[in-house]
Amino acid sequence: MLTYALVAGVLFGLYFSLVGIGLNLVFGVMRIVNLAHGDCLMLGAFIAFGLVALTGIDPLFAVPLAFVIFLIAGLLLYWVLVPRLQGSTNPEMLSIILFFGLSQVIEAVTTIFLGTSERSIPSRTLGSVFSTIKVKLFGGAPGSTGPVQILGQGFPAPWVIAAVTSLIAIGLVYLYLYQTRLGTLTRAVMSRRDEAFATGIDVDRVSAAAFGIGLGLAAIAGIFVPFMFGSVTPAFGADATVTSFAIVVLGSLGNPLGTALGGVVYGICYMVVQTYLSSWADLLPYVLLIFILLLRPSGLLGRRVRVA
Amino acid sequence: MLRVVVAALAGLFAAQAYAADAPTEIKIGTLYASSGRFASISMPVYTSLKLWADLKNADGGVYVKAFDKKLPVKIVAYDDQSNTATASTLYNQLITQDKVDLLAADSGSVLTAPAVTIARDHKYFLFDQTGTGASFFSKDNPYIALMADPVSTIWPKPVADFVIHDGPALGIKKIAILYSTNEFTGTQANAFRKFIKDSGVPVEIVYDQGVPTETTNYTVIINNINNAQPDAVFTFGYAPNDIAFLRNVADVGVKFKMLFVIYAGLEKELLEKNVGDKGLEHVFTYVPPSDLEYPVNFGMNLKDYKAAWDKKNADGKLEFGLNAIAGYTTGLVIEKALSVATSLDQMELRRAVFSLSGNLKTLCGPFALDETGGQTGELTPLGQLEFDDHGHLKFVSIYPHETATGKPVYPRP
Repeated sequence: MLTYALVAGVLFGLYFSLVGIGLNLVFGVMRIVNLAHGDCLMLGAFIAFGLVALTGIDPLFAVPLAFVIFLIAGLLLYWVLVPRLQGSTNPEMLSIILFFGLSQVIEAVTTIFLGTSERSIPSRTLGSVFSTIKVKLFGGAPGSTGPVQILGQGFPAPWVIAAVTSLIAIGLVYLYLYQTRLGTLTRAVMSRRDEAFATGIDVDRVSAAAFGIGLGLAAIAGIFVPFMFGSVTPAFGADATVTSFAIVVLGSLGNPLGTALGGVVYGICYMVVQTYLSSWADLLPYVLLIFILLLRPSGLLGRRVRVA
Repeated sequence: MLRVVVAALAGLFAAQAYAADAPTEIKIGTLYASSGRFASISMPVYTSLKLWADLKNADGGVYVKAFDKKLPVKIVAYDDQSNTATASTLYNQLITQDKVDLLAADSGSVLTAPAVTIARDHKYFLFDQTGTGASFFSKDNPYIALMADPVSTIWPKPVADFVIHDGPALGIKKIAILYSTNEFTGTQANAFRKFIKDSGVPVEIVYDQGVPTETTNYTVIINNINNAQPDAVFTFGYAPNDIAFLRNVADVGVKFKMLFVIYAGLEKELLEKNVGDKGLEHVFTYVPPSDLEYPVNFGMNLKDYKAAWDKKNADGKLEFGLNAIAGYTTGLVIEKALSVATSLDQMELRRAVFSLSGNLKTLCGPFALDETGGQTGELTPLGQLEFDDHGHLKFVSIYPHETATGKPVYPRP
């Protein structure tokens, strides 16, 4: 039972790394808390749902689609909202109120157009592109993916696909931050926004890119929501935001790559608690949040900051 | 002659006073959840209550015996967003600010719970639509009656009786119980466990765990249940729980010999959309009134009601299931109660509702209340979902034997 819980925890946790990494990127660069983060996941799920309903193709094709849509939406939203927010006396507090309102609007509008019922995508559709390619290359009959065997035990194929996608996305974020010029500028802004501005960095351009990428990553995570949580409703966002926030704080607030570790730790803890103390499983994000704030407020990968 | 004139004038004045006392409309206060966890069970109930009100108003309203005339019905409704704190405030508002004539709870036990206390404190009779929690009903609380579902403690009786009477012959010796820790499903699990233990039948409970109602991921739990090697698995959860559980069962590739879930029956359309036909095949569940043709003596029959529902909800955003007829059933009880209540006093409304017990038959079945207001008439038989000759999922009623339409498929192929 423990082995199963640990492997499931790693897979689940890798997915949660993807869920939280966008939120952390936005916070790291702009010091604003995007309380509509979970709603971006929800919208990503509905993009996948709509794509499958309309075309019947593999929901993995929704990954680039959702990313591009939310990248553009993020850029536009940034220029509409964030500069005004940054100009205020208390942008962090105001961002909480602003994005809470945005979250409510997104949920309400989605409910009006899509209703309140649960919506899902059949599990067999996720990754169907791979079985099609396999059939074309090696022949045989197309069939459902079925559970994936790891250490002799069966795990849902969508979990493995979601975990692999998360790893790829986290790797790309790493490459962006450490191998591109814009990424270097992003890290500079994350380190000290005022100093970056003083050195002539176009902080707004860097921030807009980070905001767009953050929302895009959330939307990608959203595509897997129907597979990881059974279904999605317009009300999904609020809980997802809370869990994301716990993971971000666990890893390190402001350090996107810390989120990867935070997600895995959260996933393993969740699955172990679900195995041995299932009634308490949903308390876990809050318990972890309290523990990490008491024992290591900077998070697992947080750096000590000395302010002269 | 003078006496006759005086009597006629007195009668005229009395009639005028009677009419002057009559309100312009009957205000029914209720809540609904347009968002949040309980939206999918709340909106169908609210929509079907509104459907009843619309149909009545198109017909000139409902007959109110207290005023000896037909009056239109006005639904005063607020959105509690699935939040119990918001619901508490809004129930209070309906009573103290809107001063509604009748109070109906939101759908489900979680959102009904605040109404039970508030209604009792304000001495308002609560038309409890689908809040089946056993703790709501007690001898010292006269201000509640359950309209459209049986109380949670008797829901699982046919399921337990099946295990007790037919289980040993089928080879069911070890069972697993999984439930969401809330009033509705937790009570059912407790009742089911008690029925089994009290029966003395040689059935061992090899897994018995509760999970938070918000749980939507069961892969590890399914693995743990499978390790316990049960002959039958009984899960008690809400629709999102059942959707996630059934999908995870399929994804992990586990085949339990017998699997019971609540909402495969209660909200079959919703589950079919989310889990798929194959995922529901051979699943045991309750056979809901929305799939049983109960003879009615008041209101529409199932066919006519389904047509009216489909016309009202042509956009397909709401599925047809138990909750889609629960609000309509509440409306029928209200209508019938108003036609016999001599005033709108809350205790008189209670008397009127209780007078219907044993005499009213609606889409939900025979309306029968026990002394605490708990619904005992609208029982749900145990059924199994199987494909018919046309490849559509249909209910096969399994237990009780008197209403059975087929034999159980056990173990699951």
